[in-house]
Amino acid sequence: MIGYVLEVAQAALALLLAPGLVGLLRWMKARLQNRRGAPVWQPYSELAKLFQKEVVVSSNASWLFRAAPFVVFASTVAVTFLVPILAVPLPFDGVGDLLVVVYLLLLGAFFLSLAGLDPGSPFGGMGASREMTVAALAEPTIALAIFALALGAGSTNLGQIVARTMADPGTSVSPGHLLAFGALFIVTLAETGRLPVDNPATHLELTMIHEAMILEYSGRYLALIEWAAALKLLIFFSLLGNLFVPWGVAVTVTPVSLAVAVGSLLAKLIVLAGAVAVLEIRIAKLRLFRVPELLAASFVLALLAVTSSFLLR
Amino acid sequence: MDGVFSQLCVLGSSLVLIFGLILLWRRGVTAYISAFTWQSVVLSVVTAIVAYFGDDHELYWVAAALFLLKGLLIPRLLRRMERRFAAERELEPYVNTATSLVIAGLLVLFGYAITRPLVALSQLPTRAGMPLAMGLVLVSLFVVISRKKALTQVIGFLMLENGLALLAVLGTYGIPLIVELGVFLDILMGFLVMQIFIYQIHETFESIDVEQLNRLKH
Repeated sequence: MIGYVLEVAQAALALLLAPGLVGLLRWMKARLQNRRGAPVWQPYSELAKLFQKEVVVSSNASWLFRAAPFVVFASTVAVTFLVPILAVPLPFDGVGDLLVVVYLLLLGAFFLSLAGLDPGSPFGGMGASREMTVAALAEPTIALAIFALALGAGSTNLGQIVARTMADPGTSVSPGHLLAFGALFIVTLAETGRLPVDNPATHLELTMIHEAMILEYSGRYLALIEWAAALKLLIFFSLLGNLFVPWGVAVTVTPVSLAVAVGSLLAKLIVLAGAVAVLEIRIAKLRLFRVPELLAASFVLALLAVTSSFLLR
Repeated sequence: MDGVFSQLCVLGSSLVLIFGLILLWRRGVTAYISAFTWQSVVLSVVTAIVAYFGDDHELYWVAAALFLLKGLLIPRLLRRMERRFAAERELEPYVNTATSLVIAGLLVLFGYAITRPLVALSQLPTRAGMPLAMGLVLVSLFVVISRKKALTQVIGFLMLENGLALLAVLGTYGIPLIVELGVFLDILMGFLVMQIFIYQIHETFESIDVEQLNRLKH
């Protein structure tokens, strides 16, 4: 019973923290660029404002356009139940392993691209085709990178992987883990639309990917999609944090261990956000035709990770 | 203890290999030179680690010589060349970047396949790094045949040498010091000769693109 309560609490916490994480990332980037920057809670106000605004839908749009935001949001929220964010093992661990997580995230991306194509605006179609290119190249890398970890743990269950790494701390600095971390980090940047693959700070740039797809959305639909995007960022960050540096994740359900888990989660998110912010101010966006090369590089890293963890087993 | 040693070796070899892969991913000469420098530094660190855990004092000298020659001297000579050839970017290699990277991944897998008997035969704790060293040798060979600029090919050759040195250190705890010194001298001489060649190619064709050499036929 307590497990299910924990499960819901974890999802609620993730939903609550996600806009803050985006705000934190923007604020850190602004401070590093010597700007004052919007406060960290700015995305919350934006979401609140969008939820109150009127929805404008193109007369060419079908039911798909209206349904897509809900599918995107729901599939992303479903993932938060399956990923070890606060505690292991969770009662829903048996429901889905890492493959389910990967494909639930892809389901969201798929519906978003469909919605981008639906109203027939040229920007939406352009964004959708680009998003699918990136997703198709990033997906095998995610699977391979997590397989490198699964080989060590002997299970594709994310909770089990975390528990096994905690039981044997030496594996977290093994070459397989480090290479997989590198691969997954690059994929995180690609999948969540950060630099150098996509620029999250600008609208109406001809190279945009994510923003081009959601250009037609407004009001509460836009709010749901923005919230889901923020949640996706939080999911990827907590995967990076908890799969590779699992310490702090609660193994027993006591108030102290849960408090430690929340604290360590916040610390990991802040460190990763700092790393991404520093990276983003140091590099320029890649030309679109070089993005497949970047993803090929991360694929090779993941391949090396799998082979080396297979060999050291 | 052996576990830590073997893990450090694999980690070092992976880093050495990744610096080799940068040659396929980046295009500028500056990036190539820094990749080679860091690769050599990591290689000398791996040699020092093997010396420490294997209790082999000769290897410390090899590590120091590696650092001085490939970490300091050759990069300095390369930088001097870079000033003249900085504009010579690897824009149109024979095989494009994404395909090269995937081929490099396959070559590393091939490296695993051909070193399997070696790894099975060896009792040393360093044996797990050998496939990666062989992978680096194959990847560097691929760089030499798939890139057009003479400078890139030279750096590919130097990385090939690094791969062989790594293979020797991991496979047998290094070859005798006197042989090692001979090899070092050989590399330095080879490099100086290639440097003169590059300057000559540049003087004749005003470019270091080796495709230009085809013009000599007519």
